[in-house]
Amino acid sequence: MRIDFRINGIDQSIELSNDEMLVNVIRERLELRGTKIGCGNGECGACTVLVDGDAVCSCLIPAHRVAGRSITTIEGIAKENELSPVQAAFVRHGAVQCGFCTSGMIMSASALLAVNLKPTEADISHALAGNICRCTGYRQIIDAVLDASGQTPLGHEPS
Amino acid sequence: MTGLREVGKRRPQAGIETRIRGGAIYTQDVTLPGMLYGAILRSPHSHARIASIDVTAAAALPGVQAIITAEDFKNRRYYHLGGTYSDRRPLAKDKVRFWGEEVAAVAATSLSIAERACALIAVEYDVLAPALTPQDALRPDAPEIHGKDNAVAGRNLAVRFSADYGDIAGAMAKAHFVLEDEFAHGIVAPCCMETNGTVARFNPDAGTLELWTATQAPYFIRKEVAHLVALDEHKVRVRSVEIGGGFGGKSKVCEQEALAAMLSIKARHPVKITLNRRDEFVSGKTDHAKRIRIRTAVAEDGRILNRNVSVQIDNGAYTAYAPTYVGASRQRTTCLYRIESAHYDCDLVYTNKVPGGQYRGMGAPQTIWAIESHMDDIAKRLNRDPLEYRISQANQPGDVTPLKWRISTCGLTDCLQNVGKMIRWDEKRNSPAPLRGVGVASMIHPSGGVIYQEGNFSNSRVELTGDGQIIVHTQTADTGTWQNTTLAQVAAETLGVNTSDVSVSHMDTDQAPDDLGSAASRVTFVTGNATLHAAEHLRAKILTGLSQQWNCGVEDILIENAVARHGTEPHRTADLTEIARLVGPLSADGFFTTPGERPDPKTGEGNYAATYVFGAQAAEVEVDRDTGRITVLRMAVAQDVGRALNPTAVEGQIYGGVLQGIGMALLEEMVFEEGRPVNASFLDYAVPRIGSAPKIDISLVETNDPLGPYGAKAGAEPTINATIAAIANAVFHATGIRFKTLPMSPDRVLAALEERDGKKPALKPWKRVYNAEVAAVRVMYPGVVFPALRKVGTKFARLPEKSKTPRILVPGSIAELLEFPSNKDTKSRIVAGGTDIFVGMKQGIYAPDQLLDVTRLPDLQGISLERESAPVLRIGAATSLDSVSRNELAARYFPALVSCINLIATAQIRRVATVAGDLCQEKRCWFFRSAFPCYKLGGSTCPCFAVLGDNRHHSINGAKRCAAPNPSDLAPLLSALNARVKVIGKTGIRYIPIEELYLWSGLTKLEKHELIEAIEIPIVPDTSSAFRKFGLRQGDFAEASVAVLAEWSDHRVRSIRIFAGAVSPLPMRAIAAEALLTGTRLEPSLVSAAAETIVEGSLPLHDNEYKVPLLINLTRQALLAASSHSA
Ligand code: FES
Ligand code: FES
Repeated sequence: MRIDFRINGIDQSIELSNDEMLVNVIRERLELRGTKIGCGNGECGACTVLVDGDAVCSCLIPAHRVAGRSITTIEGIAKENELSPVQAAFVRHGAVQCGFCTSGMIMSASALLAVNLKPTEADISHALAGNICRCTGYRQIIDAVLDASGQTPLGHEPS
Repeated sequence: MTGLREVGKRRPQAGIETRIRGGAIYTQDVTLPGMLYGAILRSPHSHARIASIDVTAAAALPGVQAIITAEDFKNRRYYHLGGTYSDRRPLAKDKVRFWGEEVAAVAATSLSIAERACALIAVEYDVLAPALTPQDALRPDAPEIHGKDNAVAGRNLAVRFSADYGDIAGAMAKAHFVLEDEFAHGIVAPCCMETNGTVARFNPDAGTLELWTATQAPYFIRKEVAHLVALDEHKVRVRSVEIGGGFGGKSKVCEQEALAAMLSIKARHPVKITLNRRDEFVSGKTDHAKRIRIRTAVAEDGRILNRNVSVQIDNGAYTAYAPTYVGASRQRTTCLYRIESAHYDCDLVYTNKVPGGQYRGMGAPQTIWAIESHMDDIAKRLNRDPLEYRISQANQPGDVTPLKWRISTCGLTDCLQNVGKMIRWDEKRNSPAPLRGVGVASMIHPSGGVIYQEGNFSNSRVELTGDGQIIVHTQTADTGTWQNTTLAQVAAETLGVNTSDVSVSHMDTDQAPDDLGSAASRVTFVTGNATLHAAEHLRAKILTGLSQQWNCGVEDILIENAVARHGTEPHRTADLTEIARLVGPLSADGFFTTPGERPDPKTGEGNYAATYVFGAQAAEVEVDRDTGRITVLRMAVAQDVGRALNPTAVEGQIYGGVLQGIGMALLEEMVFEEGRPVNASFLDYAVPRIGSAPKIDISLVETNDPLGPYGAKAGAEPTINATIAAIANAVFHATGIRFKTLPMSPDRVLAALEERDGKKPALKPWKRVYNAEVAAVRVMYPGVVFPALRKVGTKFARLPEKSKTPRILVPGSIAELLEFPSNKDTKSRIVAGGTDIFVGMKQGIYAPDQLLDVTRLPDLQGISLERESAPVLRIGAATSLDSVSRNELAARYFPALVSCINLIATAQIRRVATVAGDLCQEKRCWFFRSAFPCYKLGGSTCPCFAVLGDNRHHSINGAKRCAAPNPSDLAPLLSALNARVKVIGKTGIRYIPIEELYLWSGLTKLEKHELIEAIEIPIVPDTSSAFRKFGLRQGDFAEASVAVLAEWSDHRVRSIRIFAGAVSPLPMRAIAAEALLTGTRLEPSLVSAAAETIVEGSLPLHDNEYKVPLLINLTRQALLAASSHSA
């Protein structure tokens, strides 16, 4: 089956094997390896990408479903050389440790901020509950998302 | 120390630019030309003899390039701790000792071929009785797991240790009282977000091997792998990659490294092995389960005269580094607080379970939980405030502990005082709000201890390249701790350059000198010192070179801000590029070895570490009386870090360590059945999600250790040590209940609260006809029914065939869908969101030949108001949950529906999972989902594993041969709302009320050729509805849920429908409660009485009695919520 779609602003056309999941297309076919696999079962969020702006687990989406859709991965979230506001806030707040969850976190946070300009801590918690981070304890992530939406972070000083 | 420019400053993480853009290369991202994929065949038994292994069929599979078994490794075993501890081979030979043990491995051109080949390897086993717990393994007639060569201390005993410290008899004679207690906990797992993996590339011409591997310790990987594949160590090179978390789980050799290496050697191609999440739980290094008995002799003035601790540690099937773990447990128990004398003994016991390894704290979090729970009880007995009492007993500089640790810098008193202030101790302790409490705990941790046979040394290299870059080469591995950032800061400070001028190249064993790796709290202190020395040497070399160039003395040159200046001739300056041009390239090595003493092998005595880390944590918790959920509202953490090299980095470690501690305290525990993990996934094993993160106040206490680099001590690992204890003590304050097992999960807490309050709801089991029969069978289950079905019945089990790849078909219309050929040889399944099916196929519970994707069918999409006869809200079957929760009509008419959906799973899942998918999902029983040969999976000759196994999630009502409860949240709600499904089949359309949709959990009345087109919910005026659900963690499936629809007339309930979910195989209607409430105004007292009746007819199992009060409480809450809508 051949599908056409757009990813990070570039049109792609790919011949799919029958059972291919979106994460495989992204990582192996298009070699965009910033999208990670932490479980392969929709439980950890490391593979989160945006499909038409919605955050989804690319490990659970059969690739044929993205025909005609527009996908954004971590590689496409920065504008040219400039980090996106969420990325920049993650850097400022030290919200990254091992970085393995980071791509997925940033995609989920970006999807949230696209529909909710001033999320509360509860909104952030609801939106990011599908992204596990084992390193950071989430505090600096919460601060980064608050900061990225122009709100005062609750925790520590940014660097 | 003043005038520091780089050390002590908040600098951004080294390498963040790449990482934040997704450009960092982790092992799973490494792809090499000609690379093959490896898969591992694992043991399906906990204990068995291997009679034979036949790889013929697997080898014949096209695409298979190499197969290895134990023979390929000759007789070599992992070194691990050497001697009798060296008990494990890379692949099992003769015998398997735990479920999931590596038996063979295959390299093939694709992962799916490699996996299929594994399935074709024929292994004949003679199954042996297993010993699954330390208690079982220590019985005189227990099966022998290892022979006397390894179980040197007795049958199944790897270690038996016992020692006395100080004058015990004298101490006991002075005792005012002696307090004794016992604590126990199960196994937790590090759960790095990146699973273990390795890419190995053997170069046959050069005889060299390269390894890209997710490890904390390249040094040990090279040593172990070189030995196992019989190469010289210098022929093996560990390469630099990014590491997705370590936490001890990757601190030594794992299993896939040697397997990938041997496969690569045999196949002469690079080979990649990536463990999946399940394998990571099943075979990865976990923490150890422990039982800790403490007896403390206390003087009248509160002094601790003697602490006597007895520990039993579950080693699992093989010894990795557990003897060191024994040492760690001995240290914490004998050195925290001023103790006059001590006794410590420990058994390290082999069991047929996954081998334990290292996890953050080396057992300290739970050991300290036991000690500090006990300290609270001592304070209580002494009638002293727990914080004040701890301060009075705190270790002080100059102390010598019973284990002969000489405490130099020690900020424990400050730490305790600071957490007291931050948590507002006096106020919260003395006048707590109901069900709230505060607790405190201390911790101790060695920094630069002699933990390895090699001692504890580091070599570091700092290089000035020809083009003026400064690079630190270290063999340690930054697993996310920011160690590379702080090492860069140390080098920058020493050299007089900026941190941003320094990059750190980690891990590469060919480029960096030997170092023991990133574990055991050693990098900041040990590698930090080595880096400091290296930078000093490099600085000296630069100064010497410049002084020759500039014809001046070295003392005339100043390097600051990355510029060298001639002190007296200010026009002479050189930036790094210029310095490199003048004197470069240069490099210098630094070496550091800890001054700690090797402990006495018999007693463990000696001043083990260079210095010691102290800290305290305080917790404020709230306990939900209705559900048993403990919420950590706030933590206060004070840690003596010597010096914070980078406060942002240390704080990050504290936030992370504390949250892992919260996981241990409240959520995490591996559950086993027959030695096999049943919760080997992030769905069933609950690592804390974002909603568990409390506010954390931090105080970094700087004692400026004279031996630390710029005064720093270890920081990252010990941040977890005091967390469980602080929470447990806060829970005790809030509830008066002292929990002696972990985790303090809601099920246990609720059961304990019920017991405390003497509640015993009337179950009236006779109200359900089948219960007598079910109860009788349950009585016979352990002795007769289960053994017979397990032994004989499961032989006839018909389990779904694994690793089949279904065809995915995408029909364009319902008519087309119904036309798809389907016969008895082709199993079709309808797939919508797929969030259940795609996972279930991997779990081995579905094996369809074809999947019919219905997401493109327009009739199955959308939400609309239909008014043909009575008005209904129509929701297309394949409408995503998220679309419903964002829909205005849904929000207007059925707010309970929206709140219900927002409690289902996670944002990403709700985006794709569908309404009909939620209704039709398969049961979630963890035995079934782990593909146990159970009644539902294997057929009627098989037993239900939930009757005797861990059944905390199972039905309390209506279970028969299967105890799995209905997992859907929408099922009880839509049943209460009187909704129905519109079903289309070849023969036409029919409607089924949702309350009648089910035959059993996960089993609907839909026929083979039928499909749900839509859900229709009647819109009835003057109604109110409510939904309540309780899941153990954020986004979890329900443990119980309750939905209510009340129809009002004249402020009275004209009719009411109440349904419960997750407590019985079918959505359960509460008929008695409905009858009691009809015609009333839902007054609170009536509501409470009615709620009690919902559990009538229940017959709980041994682990799920908590669901009884839970269900009552949720019912009461839902009814009250529905009553408040009445106006
Ligand atoms: S990898 Fe997709 S959710 Fe974990
Ligand atoms: S930073 Fe490591 S998992 Fe989040």
